[in-house]
Amino acid sequence: MLTALALGLGLALLLVSLGLLDGGHEQTIADGVRFGPGHVVVQAKGYQDSGSDELLLPALDVANIENFLQTGNIRHVVRGISPRLLATGLMSTSASSAGVKIVGVIPEDDRAVSLIPQRMVEGTYLSSNDKLSGVVVGDELARKLELKIGSKAVLMTQSLRPSGAATANGDGDEMQSTLLRVSGIFRTGIQGIDANMIYLPLPAAQALLGVTGDQVTQVTLLLAQEGDSPMVARALRKQLAGEPVEVLTWRESLPMLAQILGLDHAFNYVMNGVILAMVGLGILNTILMRVLERRYEFGVSKALGLRPRQLALMVIGESLALTAISLVLGLALGLSVQHYFATAGLDLRWVFKAGLPPALVFDPILYSRLSADRIVWSVSIVFAMATIISFYPALKAAQTDLPDALKVV
Amino acid sequence: MDEWAVKLSDVRKTYRTGPIEVPALRGVTLSIAAGEFAATAGPSGSGKTTLLNIIGGLDRADNGEIWVAGQNLQILSSGDLAHVRLQRIGFVFQTYNLLPVLTALENAEFTLLLQGMPARKRRARVEKLFSEIGLAGLEDRRPAELSGGQQQRVAVARAMVTEPALILADEPTANLDSASAIALLDVMEQLNRTTRTTFLFSTHDPQVMERAHRLIRLRDGQIVSDNTRNSQTAAVA
Repeated sequence: MLTALALGLGLALLLVSLGLLDGGHEQTIADGVRFGPGHVVVQAKGYQDSGSDELLLPALDVANIENFLQTGNIRHVVRGISPRLLATGLMSTSASSAGVKIVGVIPEDDRAVSLIPQRMVEGTYLSSNDKLSGVVVGDELARKLELKIGSKAVLMTQSLRPSGAATANGDGDEMQSTLLRVSGIFRTGIQGIDANMIYLPLPAAQALLGVTGDQVTQVTLLLAQEGDSPMVARALRKQLAGEPVEVLTWRESLPMLAQILGLDHAFNYVMNGVILAMVGLGILNTILMRVLERRYEFGVSKALGLRPRQLALMVIGESLALTAISLVLGLALGLSVQHYFATAGLDLRWVFKAGLPPALVFDPILYSRLSADRIVWSVSIVFAMATIISFYPALKAAQTDLPDALKVV
Repeated sequence: MDEWAVKLSDVRKTYRTGPIEVPALRGVTLSIAAGEFAATAGPSGSGKTTLLNIIGGLDRADNGEIWVAGQNLQILSSGDLAHVRLQRIGFVFQTYNLLPVLTALENAEFTLLLQGMPARKRRARVEKLFSEIGLAGLEDRRPAELSGGQQQRVAVARAMVTEPALILADEPTANLDSASAIALLDVMEQLNRTTRTTFLFSTHDPQVMERAHRLIRLRDGQIVSDNTRNSQTAAVA
């Protein structure tokens, strides 16, 4: 019974560990893409490498992308499309100034893609009805610039229009500035976003930067399922073939996140391997001890005519029966704990009292997610391990020495 | 049935513990005809148990030929030896060697189970045998709930139930009181008479020696006398 419990506990640990790992990754990806460039992003060719504000998508391509995503089967997998204009600038108040990343968005479109509207802590998110001067900032930036709802701030940036052309807000100089009024403050818990990003309506951003027509930096897509990213990216690449654009999945647009998750996966596989190896050694020890304890019984059976091969199969059969019981116990325990973490979550905020690391997109409450594939995989691994482990004790049983084993101890 | 149940030729066995060598059998040549009721006797260490273990395929000789029920045991694999034990040989051990977790009936039918006999047939055969040897009513008792004599009779039933050509009984009366020993010998002698099953005992017990139709005396791993009850002929190996 102890062996069954040990093996069941091993499986339960594996299921809980994989559930938290997959849940954490799913959440991290979901948060990462919604705070960043979406599951798939279309942008001017070279923007990923250079990050140059001057690389803009032609207006025709933006319309083409939006039309394409409304057609065929692909429209069923796309949950949101948000064109964005990105630039860098300097935001100043009477208290201080700070470098910022400007994100010009169509508020209604961005609500379907971005998590920022859901993370407002003061005021409200942007709306198309807002005056052009509305801006949403992170709480870190607001603290640094001593901004409150309704506060005014000056945003200064370099015009993206050709030198010498007139802009809406300026007199033709390359440096442009505008007065903005804070309409909302958000907090994501991610320092890199809360201290740097500002969101303003796309027309305001386009006017400030001197961008003509409907040009934007990128079109970001949120999909119903992360797994559809490669398929949607392929379809878009085909549709936009020949255009000076690049279509990237989140793994390509957020390579560091993909690498961190890959490393985390690898580390967890190693840890799970260690857990399984420890459980396996424990089981091997227990089964082997049982075989030694039953030496007399095996000796009598062998003396009466049980073949060594039958004896080995008997031990393997018993081990498999034990494994089956263990798997039922492990599944019951593992799935119960998994269900708890899937609904209540594992709150890790106490670990990050000082704030989340700036480079990490991470929700401190982990919700477990476990697919049927993972359960089948885990059960198969544990079953295979237990089967392989039973071979050695089975061999020892088959090799029971006669007539020594007949001696009554 | 073969004319000879057992035929040994120059069988030798030496036990080795590190550098120490202890010769147990030193060139034993012996033939036991089918249907004999024979016993080997001799002091401790004379090689009686080793001889029975080798004849029963529980141990292997270093040298010599061992034919049992028409099979040359020396050339058989351990799997084939197990098959010979299951089909042709029955064992009665000094310490009974019953499986403590099984009932008397389950212990007795164990070899039939290994032979693949259906449960109903097994049960019928064991019950018939139990009634013949005075174990009726004890079928569901576990070994710990039986007396020594009853346990040894269960062991005899287990050995007999497959109707083997040869039954090897190693000191079967050693742990029994006198009355139980006589009762057990009665059972075995009757079985020998009615079924023509060959019995070979190893024993210290004078009662067994008296009842054996043939007495083979061993000393220091060699046969020193071989007497049948009728002829009282000595045949020194």
